[in-house]
Amino acid sequence: MSATDDQKVTLGNYIALAFAVVFFSGLLQSNEWYGVFDFTTLNGTFGSIAGGGMFRGAGGDGARDGFLFALTLVPTCMFALGMINVLEHYGALKAARKLLSPLLRPLMGLPGSAGLALIGSLQNTDTGAGLTKNLVEDGELNQEETEIFTAFQFSAGATIVNFFSSGAVLFTLTNADGSLAVPTSIGLTVAIMFIFKIVGANILRLVLKAQGNKVNAQTKAA
Amino acid sequence: MAQAGKKMITDVFVEGARKGWNIGAMSTIPNVMMAFIIIKALNVTGALGALGALFQPLMILVGLPGEGAAVIMSAIMSMGGAVGIVMGLFSEGILTGEHIAILAPAIYLCGSTIQYAGRILGVIGTRGSLYPIMFAICIANSFMAMFVMNLFFV
Repeated sequence: MSATDDQKVTLGNYIALAFAVVFFSGLLQSNEWYGVFDFTTLNGTFGSIAGGGMFRGAGGDGARDGFLFALTLVPTCMFALGMINVLEHYGALKAARKLLSPLLRPLMGLPGSAGLALIGSLQNTDTGAGLTKNLVEDGELNQEETEIFTAFQFSAGATIVNFFSSGAVLFTLTNADGSLAVPTSIGLTVAIMFIFKIVGANILRLVLKAQGNKVNAQTKAA
Repeated sequence: MAQAGKKMITDVFVEGARKGWNIGAMSTIPNVMMAFIIIKALNVTGALGALGALFQPLMILVGLPGEGAAVIMSAIMSMGGAVGIVMGLFSEGILTGEHIAILAPAIYLCGSTIQYAGRILGVIGTRGSLYPIMFAICIANSFMAMFVMNLFFV
């Protein structure tokens, strides 16, 4: 797979992407029939032990409590990565790349050829860094574009895999009354991360512009 | 790719779930356990209260108690560790669900940057003079995200 690889994106890939967005957005969270299209609904809850407590019990602390608590996180982690694997299999990320590539120039001043590396970097930091290095060697990115793209990758590296393997579990926490504790959705959190990754890249873009202006002014003065 | 197309959907799911199990067993459980031990140690020594008081003026700007600073500091070293610290503080009643909503994107925006300096900046060959700026951008991203979450979504 080369850095400029452009496979055909089918309608099925777009459907998979749309499904991914809806599935993790929390929009359909419900015990009605349409809850079947929502991650949190299908993730379910643990049962109660007599007296209303969970198997972890109440009032514990330290390593023992941490271990039991961590056990409660593993099913969410497995379910989330299982679903990500399925959505990736049906081309959701390929469709995302197709949609994102034309936006790279207006959003971050990057060429569309960076699309594959961008999607790769959301899944794995090393894939992103490796593909970016390839783009530089192939002359697809100049120094400034490379540095801007690096700032995008450095903040929230491997966003999808890292977030779904640890952060998604935060959204399953419950209050003492059994209601969900976190009042936002997984989808909103991913969107905020993605927006600020782009903001960060543009901050570097401004810094580089300021540095360039400073160098130009010094050259003129000399 | 052709081979991947022939896989049963259930096999694809199980393959992903297995990755999730490996991450859960090898990363989540040890990280969360370590975080609970750190919280216990900080609590026993009174350091958690001191940390909270020290960072209260800064964290209040983004709608968090001072102890939220412990989450951001640990995130720079490890995203999984920071999630563990959040769990520990939630279980102690120091962080609420609203606080977690504010912290969730911020943990990742500055997450594991010490490790990623080698794996991203080093591999791509970023100029040394840009390293501090790259770190500063990640921290700024985290604070901007917390500010926005606190203002609009909590």
